[in-house]
Amino acid sequence: MSKTIDRRGVLKGAVAAGAAGIIAAPAIAQPKWPARPITMICPWGAGGGTDATARIVAALLEKSLGQPVNVVNRTGGSGVVGHSAIATAAPDGYTIGMLTVEISMMHHMGLTQLTPSDYTALALMNEDPPGVQVSASSPYKDIKALAEAIKAAPHGKLKASGTGQGGIWHLALVGWLLAMGLKPDHVAWAPSNGAAPAMQDLAAGGIDIVTCSVPEARAMLDAGKARSLAIMAKERNPQFKDVPTLNETLGINYSVGAWRGIGGPKGLPENVQKILAAELKKAYDSQEYKDFMNARGFGMTFADQAGYAAFMADGDKAMGTAMTAAGLAKKAS
Amino acid sequence: MAGPVTPDKVESMRFNDTVVGLAFIALAATMIAMTFSFPSFPGQAYGPSLFPRILGGGIIFCALVLILRERRAAVAAPWLVLADWAREPRKVLSFVLTLAAMLFYVLASDRLGFIPSAFLVQIVLLLWFGVRPLTALVVAVGMTLLVHWFFGSMMLVPLPRGILDSVL
Amino acid sequence: MQAIATAFGLVFDLQVIGVILASAVFGMFVGAMPGLTATMATALLVPVTFFMPPVPALGAIVTATAMAIFAGDIPAAMLRMPGTPASAAYADESYEMTKKGQLDLCMGVNLVFSVLGGIFGVAVLILAAPMLAEVAINFSSFEYFWLACLGLTCAVFIGTGDPVKGLLSLFIGLAIGCVGIDPAAGQPRFTFGNVDLLSGINFIPTLIGMFAVSELLRGSVSLDQGSTMVQQQVGKLMTGIGAVWRKYWKNFFRGSILGTVIGALPGAGADIAAWVSYAVSKKLSKEPEKFGTGHLEGIVDSTSANNSALGGAWIPALVFGIPGDSITAIVIGVLYMKGMNPGPSVFLQTPELIYAVFIIFILANIVMFPLGWAAIKSAKQILRVPRNILLPVILIFCMVGSFAMTNSIYGVVLMVVMGVFGWVLEEHGIPIAPLILGLVLGEMLEQNFMTSMIKSDGSFLFFFERPIAGVLGVCTLIVWGLMLWRMLPFGRHGQPVPAGETAPP
Repeated sequence: MSKTIDRRGVLKGAVAAGAAGIIAAPAIAQPKWPARPITMICPWGAGGGTDATARIVAALLEKSLGQPVNVVNRTGGSGVVGHSAIATAAPDGYTIGMLTVEISMMHHMGLTQLTPSDYTALALMNEDPPGVQVSASSPYKDIKALAEAIKAAPHGKLKASGTGQGGIWHLALVGWLLAMGLKPDHVAWAPSNGAAPAMQDLAAGGIDIVTCSVPEARAMLDAGKARSLAIMAKERNPQFKDVPTLNETLGINYSVGAWRGIGGPKGLPENVQKILAAELKKAYDSQEYKDFMNARGFGMTFADQAGYAAFMADGDKAMGTAMTAAGLAKKAS
Repeated sequence: MAGPVTPDKVESMRFNDTVVGLAFIALAATMIAMTFSFPSFPGQAYGPSLFPRILGGGIIFCALVLILRERRAAVAAPWLVLADWAREPRKVLSFVLTLAAMLFYVLASDRLGFIPSAFLVQIVLLLWFGVRPLTALVVAVGMTLLVHWFFGSMMLVPLPRGILDSVL
Repeated sequence: MQAIATAFGLVFDLQVIGVILASAVFGMFVGAMPGLTATMATALLVPVTFFMPPVPALGAIVTATAMAIFAGDIPAAMLRMPGTPASAAYADESYEMTKKGQLDLCMGVNLVFSVLGGIFGVAVLILAAPMLAEVAINFSSFEYFWLACLGLTCAVFIGTGDPVKGLLSLFIGLAIGCVGIDPAAGQPRFTFGNVDLLSGINFIPTLIGMFAVSELLRGSVSLDQGSTMVQQQVGKLMTGIGAVWRKYWKNFFRGSILGTVIGALPGAGADIAAWVSYAVSKKLSKEPEKFGTGHLEGIVDSTSANNSALGGAWIPALVFGIPGDSITAIVIGVLYMKGMNPGPSVFLQTPELIYAVFIIFILANIVMFPLGWAAIKSAKQILRVPRNILLPVILIFCMVGSFAMTNSIYGVVLMVVMGVFGWVLEEHGIPIAPLILGLVLGEMLEQNFMTSMIKSDGSFLFFFERPIAGVLGVCTLIVWGLMLWRMLPFGRHGQPVPAGETAPP
């Protein structure tokens, strides 16, 4: 055991050792958990926003649980691989993972059988709404002008991107188009390998619109290469105060978001659930978490166990409707 | 390691190009056949099946050139040339054992855990390759622990814990 | 100027220097282990950097990655086991040199030109970052499609021997790359309902399998032919480096420029830089027939290129927050956390931090020299170990390295399958290097092709409409036309190559 603490160096080791005592008290009646390092599976690769969020949550949990929490990237398959690994892990509390919005989408596309109900929901940690970005040289100065142009343009003339076919930002576009009374493919979707390549294609003049989240577009916005016209959320993001919502500009009350939360395989022991839920709440409320998320511009939304489970179930239903409307859902499943 | 083929010493084992060509044509044809079950891209004339078909075509083209070329050659190559080592049972066993060691690790490491399986793989191979037992033991134990420390503890690779779950 | 002085003060601090040295040693180890890449080293450093001020945080990453890219050359030359993907392009060439007893010269060249290439990349980063980033950002999917095509053309040059078999190998690599979720429609292909296959054929276990495992299989049947791998002369690393410089200084500059530019292009990193510059070196060489037999020339180009690509990748990352490679993708996150938001304004808002990063970049490359020297000297002892001890130990490293890439047994399964497949291919004179390149470039090619077709509403003419894309496209088609003509048995140079004459690596 001591070996695993050593490697983290004096700094973390000391913090961990100090914090170990705090957690011992509430768990006294149950078999002691955690007695060894915990694995946190991240379905997305190192370097992305999900990985970064998983790593800060893991670092905070490690501090309070007194055991190393190791982030393990299980990537590929549009998130299927990692989500499967979380669902099929032994429900002993030593494997948890980051669930992302894709868990409510993939099974509609027929990529997996897994749905949100295959997990023990622990806590929702973050949600980012999509934005509407255009190139700096684009003629559309505000969201109204863009909306008019979209309506006036022939079917499939304008191109948008932000992620792969059937990804969350694609659905954001589809939802917006449907809300405007247009066909779901009125603006054609050019799939990209994530938000960064899409933003680059936008700046290079290859496409017209990118519907990724504002934090993902941030560097290009700061560089003056792109403009964010609106976000599809209930209220403005305090980090980007100047970007209006769709509701206040177009009167369209459509909101969807990419969320991230912590979950485990179904059937986690009660005491583990209780400790983790409490520690995640503490992590969410910590200054470190707030500073980190603000630095990246990520939105902070919290839901406790019950709230998160309900949130995922609702989202799953909404995604099913949206994806069927967009023709993305596989009818057979 | 295989050098140029010389008459007195055959280091590489090969089928002739006709066999190789036919094998790849069969593979490519299977691949192309599978693409017909792929769904089409919403609203587009081409979809996920396009690239595999182009590539399948490319493989078949290369394979045909290989076959054609060999047909035109003056001397026909034998359809299989065995390497010299394939006639020595001990060497064939060495080859099979190396493969078997990897398969053993694949099948057993999850249940047994990294430390026992890596130790077993090494000690068996070391002894088979004629390392003295004491040296073999020291190397197998030492390297297993070293790899476990560096990959498992330093680099946080989640090496399987297996039967040592409660001890580690 | 004030900022530069402050930057020096920030860097030359006892704690910062300590962090740099520690991460240098860390990077050296990670790079030398198969399966552990510079990207992984960076990801592992991130939680540690949470608790550090910006300069040591970024310094740790910069140093560790530079070391790792060089250190990957060491096992590539000694065991034909590229430590990182960036060393794969010239692993065979280096290994041939070792077999010829020229390990010292090979490692000396790798070290010196890695250091120089790294410094070249940083110099460009310092002097021309905003300008170059402006160019790089103008590439859309059309340009990337043509670049990927040109990259694939390299496959024909890097394969030794028979061009038809090289092309076959390339197609196989591209076909293997189709396994998994397709990049355009998001549909699973050739996955047979298997969850692991959904993630595709992972590149690094394939690399380890094809290079190292196939070599182990060959080694297992030739163990009695001499106890150690190669009888090495006791030489000095730096002997002959001066002569190499005089002969190949042009290759150094060519490799470094290519490396920096490829590094600066988002989506292409040090590994692609090494492949392309190796191919270009062979194509433009006066003695291309020597390539693949343990010839220094291509190594000079590509070892300079992969280290210079590191600096190049920071160009779009700093200026536009667009990662130049997978390492800078992580770096961008760290930049945000440390309040150095990427963008042109980062040079104005926190110039002292940017200069400090530049200084560390140079420092890291200088530190690489003595540390690399020490690493080579100690690694050389490996070759004194009898081969019957070495083989089982390397096997374990290969399996753990492959496991580390997928964090599951799937990586090991892939490694074994690809190892046997690679062995079969090489026995039949089919080179594996083009296959690896196809696997690297396959997704980039298909993704950009499909995206472009959607953007152009299915018209191929659009691929030539944008000026840069047009030039790239015409070049590609001319090169391809010429090559196809020469390859056909009925073509102008169609003397068939007898199967026996192709040299399997």
